[in-house]
Amino acid sequence: MIPMKRFWRYPAKWALFRWDDRLLLIVMGVIVGVCSGLAALVLNRSLIAMLDALHAYRHFWWAFVLPAVGAMLSALFLEKIVKEGPGHGVPEVIDSVLRYGGLLRFRSSFSRLISACLTIGSGGSAGPEAPVVISGSAIGSNIAGFFSLNERQRVTLVGCGAAGAIAAIFNAPISGMIFAIEVIIGQWSALNIIPIAIAAVAGTQVSRRLQGNQIAFSHRVFDIGFIDILACLGLAMLTAVMSILLTRMLRKMHGVSTRTDLSVWYRAAIGGAAVGGLAILLPDVLGEGYHAIGSMISGHYPKGLAIAGAMMLAKILATSLTLGWGGSGGIFAPCLVIGSFSGLFWQRFLSSVWPAVPWVDEGCFALIGMAGMVGGMLQAPLTGIFLIVEITGGYDVILPLILVSAISTALCHYVEPASFYLKDLVEKGRFLLPGTDGRVLADLSVDELLEKDCIVVHQNLLLREFINIVKKSHRNHFPVEDEKTGQFLGMVSLDDIRPFLFDVVMYDTVFLEQLMRKQVETADPDDDLAVILQKMDTKHLYSLPVIDNGRFVGMLSKATLLDQYRRELRVQTPY
Amino acid sequence: MIFSGNEYLTENRHANEWIRFGKTAADSRMNLTIEKLAQALELPAATVERWIRQGRIPIRRNGADCVFNQSALEKWAKTHNLPFALPGKTVESKSVEAPETLFEAMSRGGVHHGIKGDTVESVLQSAVDRIDFLHAPARSELYQRLVEREALASTGIGRGVGIPHPRTPIPGGIEQPVIVTCFLEKPVEYRAVDDQPVFVLFILINTTIQQHLRLLSRLSYCMRSDEFVRFLRTTPGSEAFLNTIDEFEKRLDSADS
Repeated sequence: MIPMKRFWRYPAKWALFRWDDRLLLIVMGVIVGVCSGLAALVLNRSLIAMLDALHAYRHFWWAFVLPAVGAMLSALFLEKIVKEGPGHGVPEVIDSVLRYGGLLRFRSSFSRLISACLTIGSGGSAGPEAPVVISGSAIGSNIAGFFSLNERQRVTLVGCGAAGAIAAIFNAPISGMIFAIEVIIGQWSALNIIPIAIAAVAGTQVSRRLQGNQIAFSHRVFDIGFIDILACLGLAMLTAVMSILLTRMLRKMHGVSTRTDLSVWYRAAIGGAAVGGLAILLPDVLGEGYHAIGSMISGHYPKGLAIAGAMMLAKILATSLTLGWGGSGGIFAPCLVIGSFSGLFWQRFLSSVWPAVPWVDEGCFALIGMAGMVGGMLQAPLTGIFLIVEITGGYDVILPLILVSAISTALCHYVEPASFYLKDLVEKGRFLLPGTDGRVLADLSVDELLEKDCIVVHQNLLLREFINIVKKSHRNHFPVEDEKTGQFLGMVSLDDIRPFLFDVVMYDTVFLEQLMRKQVETADPDDDLAVILQKMDTKHLYSLPVIDNGRFVGMLSKATLLDQYRRELRVQTPY
Repeated sequence: MIFSGNEYLTENRHANEWIRFGKTAADSRMNLTIEKLAQALELPAATVERWIRQGRIPIRRNGADCVFNQSALEKWAKTHNLPFALPGKTVESKSVEAPETLFEAMSRGGVHHGIKGDTVESVLQSAVDRIDFLHAPARSELYQRLVEREALASTGIGRGVGIPHPRTPIPGGIEQPVIVTCFLEKPVEYRAVDDQPVFVLFILINTTIQQHLRLLSRLSYCMRSDEFVRFLRTTPGSEAFLNTIDEFEKRLDSADS
């Protein structure tokens, strides 16, 4: 019996929630949304504070070491203090959602906030979104753990955390919700959507309470003509190319940096210094770059086709240097920056080629470029569309947004089938969506498939005695164990001894030891089912003995596997 | 009161007793051990445990027990096409009957002596006439079928023994298997496998094929024994014969186990 004092830790037992566990998730969603919203605001505020504090030193010649120091400290912090891997961390969240029921460590709820703050605040080119997503997700996961919720509920709360974080940092509830479902959870179901929506609302509300209801990039109304929509097709292609370029660059840089013999913080420092050096020429590559986006959308960004093109490429380089070499942060904000530079570049290019055409303002193209970039990079077209609509407060650009986002996603999917977040997982074979063969096999364990109704025999049995056992058995395979030690010796299969069964002379002259097969394929209880099945397929076996530490524990057969596999699939497939 | 459910959940009640029978179906809640529930769902306990942990099944853990809402679980099982039958709710498979023995079947059939006749048909006719527990139409049907069976292949299994029987059980004739033992007045040429004339017939009348095979196998065990055949040649009386059968069956059972 659970003491009353701890009863509040098991809300699933409260009468109200027993009535309907969806209510429980909604209430939890509010808590998670508020917490992750707060986490997002903490990072946002500390970034601003840090940028302000360092602003005074930006004009010194040695300012280029600032990003180096920041990245180094961030890498040191991750490596030595909290012992977490470098990188942006969203794949870890997705991996945990897919394979471990959303289990995340508690320290993930703050570690990335600090490291990202160091990297970005000092000038590294990265985004604060991935860190807040991780910390929101970790908060959700740990709240679920604290209240002893099951894995399905925990996954939903991880989604709630991500939704609350994105909603709070952008003041954009719909984007938060869609990001969580499209990118983090990857599955649309009514069970998930409602708590996640509630969490997004809670996160947004926290953000509005504490820093006012501001739209990040408000703008004037654009007058979009048909010709502009046509031009967007070109922009979609440009952003797709940029997405692929950024993906490849990031991975390339990561490959180059890991090949060096330097320790992690050295690498991060080199990357940071390189970004700092780049910033001497193009200072806008520094930081998450929202200031640049703002000026582009309002049309105040310095004129010139070349500067837009150069910035677009420089930002890709700076982001790859920062993240590829070990800095901490996300790719979301860099995507937006690169996207808006692409839009700017495209508009300026069109205006210079066809100056007579009344092109819409470059700010409009910058918006659309952002959606294209997010769509292409994350392969999440809806997130791109809704985020841009919300952070710019403009519904008037929705048509080209949808178009560019969809086309860019499609083009990127053609070249890079997995999104940037999923690429690592897909490569390691760990991207296992529910209801797929890999996932069903990963979930089932050998233990659940064991057939224990086998009759175990020992090697000193005469054929006559064995035939008496066969009479009473229902199976064709008999494991042989050592009479004294109980060690597994081999298998006797009826198929092998069929000819001798009718030979009376052999009844009292042959021992099982002479009849059994010693070289048999076996499986271990801890083996992966996929591996076992592979073995069965290549050797054309229908059943395998399972041996644990030299002892027979049961048989594993394809027939039982099929039964269990179908049940698992039925339960996993959303209905 | 928000904690009202606690006592119901932690109380350790008998497995299939209703813990609470509320006004609505949503309130009917049950406590079962994982093993019992796994049996009800026809799944390994490890799978049920994992599904609960993963939240795939509408059940909550409470220590070793599962707490669930029966109607919700039934509905869930139905939508996922899984079996779900609580123990004790369905009638258990009928109590397994003790397998039929020769002794019982032969006691029911009776032992007859001095069956007359010179041919297969005539001995069968006079043997069937002795069967008093069948009425006349059933007897003639049985005779027809026995003759049909003999026409296919002789049932003389050698050593002077014949086991006439219908090829398939006679529908609606008898309720339990019966073996009628008939010692012939004089041995009759029966086209037996070893060409020896037959001096005793065991007429096997069964209700199912399984019983037929089982009794046949037990009879053939006895026939393999020289001692038994020698005993048959003495044309024993009813009581002595049945006692010997009983004794042989006991030997057979002890050899089997």
